[in-house]
Amino acid sequence: MRSKLDYLTGISLKRKIKTKWFLFANIALAIVMIALFNIDSIITYFGGDFNEKQKVYIVDNTNESFDLFDEQLKVTSEALYGEDNSSYEVEKIDKTEEEAKKLLNEDDESKNIVIIFNPSLNNVIEFDMISKEYMDLVDTQLLTAALNNTKIALALSKTTIDQKELNKIYSTAVINRTYLDEEKNSADENMDMIMSTVFPIIILPFFMLTIFLVQMIGAEVNDEKTTRSMEIIIANVPPKTHFFAKVIAGNLFVIIQGILLFSYAGIGLLISHLIGNSSITGGITSQMQGVVDTVLSSNFGNTLYLVLPLTLVLMLLTFLGYSLLAGILASMTTNIEDFQQMQAPIIVISLIGYYLSMMAGLFEGATFIKVLSFVPLISAILSPSLLVLGQIGIVEISISILLVVLFDYLLIKYGLKIYKVGILNYSSKDLWKKVFKAIKN
Amino acid sequence: MLKVSSVTKYYGNFLAVDNLSFEVKPGEIFGLLGVNGAGKTTTFRMIMGLLDLSEGSITLDGKNIDYSVTDQIGFLTEERSLLTKLTVKEQCLFYGTLKGMKESDILKKLDSLLKEFEISEYKERKIKELSKGNQQKIQFITAIINDPKLLILDEPFTGLDPINVEQFKNKIKELASKGSMIIFSSHRMEHVELFCKKLVVLVKGKAVLNGNLKEIKENYRKKDIMLKADITKEELEKTKGVVEVVEMADEFDVKIESQEMVQNVFEKVSKCKNVTKFVVEEPSLNDIFVAKVGEAYEK
Repeated sequence: MRSKLDYLTGISLKRKIKTKWFLFANIALAIVMIALFNIDSIITYFGGDFNEKQKVYIVDNTNESFDLFDEQLKVTSEALYGEDNSSYEVEKIDKTEEEAKKLLNEDDESKNIVIIFNPSLNNVIEFDMISKEYMDLVDTQLLTAALNNTKIALALSKTTIDQKELNKIYSTAVINRTYLDEEKNSADENMDMIMSTVFPIIILPFFMLTIFLVQMIGAEVNDEKTTRSMEIIIANVPPKTHFFAKVIAGNLFVIIQGILLFSYAGIGLLISHLIGNSSITGGITSQMQGVVDTVLSSNFGNTLYLVLPLTLVLMLLTFLGYSLLAGILASMTTNIEDFQQMQAPIIVISLIGYYLSMMAGLFEGATFIKVLSFVPLISAILSPSLLVLGQIGIVEISISILLVVLFDYLLIKYGLKIYKVGILNYSSKDLWKKVFKAIKN
Repeated sequence: MLKVSSVTKYYGNFLAVDNLSFEVKPGEIFGLLGVNGAGKTTTFRMIMGLLDLSEGSITLDGKNIDYSVTDQIGFLTEERSLLTKLTVKEQCLFYGTLKGMKESDILKKLDSLLKEFEISEYKERKIKELSKGNQQKIQFITAIINDPKLLILDEPFTGLDPINVEQFKNKIKELASKGSMIIFSSHRMEHVELFCKKLVVLVKGKAVLNGNLKEIKENYRKKDIMLKADITKEELEKTKGVVEVVEMADEFDVKIESQEMVQNVFEKVSKCKNVTKFVVEEPSLNDIFVAKVGEAYEK
């Protein structure tokens, strides 16, 4: 016959998973995640077109600036979108200002613009930029940069500098990086920049799963307490067995849910890859590929075989810590409303870890953040983040793991005493007195 | 045999149960009575091993009650201890398995009990969809599904109509006849009187009455005389040994100090005309309970 621990764990997990709400929530999550990875295809389906280039009509009254501008816009656009990925199509038109405005008004595409180049005695050249609507920030910045460069190029062309020298001036600046620390290289530097923005996104499911875990355990324990079925259960199984059943079931649930979330992301990426014929879809997959390539080409890639399992172990031990804490707190409360208030500090702790992991890149080397990366519950998010950014090493993350193990051990040792008293307590009177008395016994 | 020996329970400085002792033998139905807060539920929870004793011991067949024997105990709590989101079948499987039963045995027993309580059609229904009375039936079924050696029933008739009360009574008697030890608590004294040969009345955790119901009644000195005669209430009240006279529609309920005072009343009434009724009655358990609890509170 199955042990009562196995049975209670199975029942607890079944009560969470074999429900129409779990199915409904996961269908919704799958749809949202797959849709997010294919958002451009969806937008395109409903009428958007990310492949269509934005037209920039030029009325060149200087008769010498069009080519310069065309070249400069190409350079600045490619710096942002990559080679051969300029999102602009520049066309020279021979029209007056009024005719150009009329052309723009009759154009179906609202993003197209007209720029009129006018000679100027004081400023070499002046520009009139005409659009139907507001322009977005990226377009404004790109065009402004291109126009500034055009002005400089035009001014330089009127000096005695020969064409060869001018070409040198126009060419992209060559920056050679030197690192006094011999262990550093540019691939790692790129990876730092990429991971400081990408990692918080990767870690987000951990934060979500922590909330799922805490709420699941709290709701179950309180359901059994408020219905008084706890008395029947505890009359037949020791509180220790009940506690561990809830903790194991909670952890199994988040592992299953985590695998499902990554599966939905995988399906979304696969679909995106299969139908990826538009620029943004291609962009996401190529950016993902870029991240992977950067990671693999960096020194960090060589330590991945250690970093990934250590991070996974740290996360699983932290899930265990959160579930133990949730079980203990749930046993002390008498209804789900009280538990919801009590769980707030746990979620805040998790949130602190999440924000710090996002800020770690900005405050590189901050001792405060490094110290917090050892704190159990926070360390699962913060330590891997600092590790990816190269701010801590394998030794530090190993210390974080040891501290979480110690934290979990203390929670089990003292938490069980609180749990045993708490689950059959239906009064909030002298709660903390009872808790401390339980710990002392 | 269940043996509760000199059990005391403190919650901090508060004395919840004070030196309580009683025994329940196989086939006996034992009444544990008391007003709210008297210590009944605390006693039940100590028997179930849910609470540690401050002093004393509780044994079942000579063994301390721990998780090695709780599979043989059935417990019906005063509040509904059902997980209302589960179906009847899931609930019974859950509690039955926790009592160490096999799934096939639980389902077999469940079908039989559902049929007996005439609620077979609710097997796949969620508990929350059932009426209060039917929920109580399910709770009772979960308590007896393992044919317990010791059955603890805390207010089992709550929410039941008279027909269902009869069903419960019959089943409780049947279980006792098969050898189960049953401890029973109720505010309805007529139920206790009907079932229990032995009882304890708790007041503030202390037993103010303890023993065989028949002996308790015999030892209870105050008696009732129901009489019909041409006599006034005032005349009866002046009789020596009369404690109280309650005038009813066409008769008097005369409460006297003790059995010895019956003669005084009889002599007085025999001089009256039209004496058509003179019956000396045992006091009801309710009278004894009210009197004893009242006395204890006065002290």
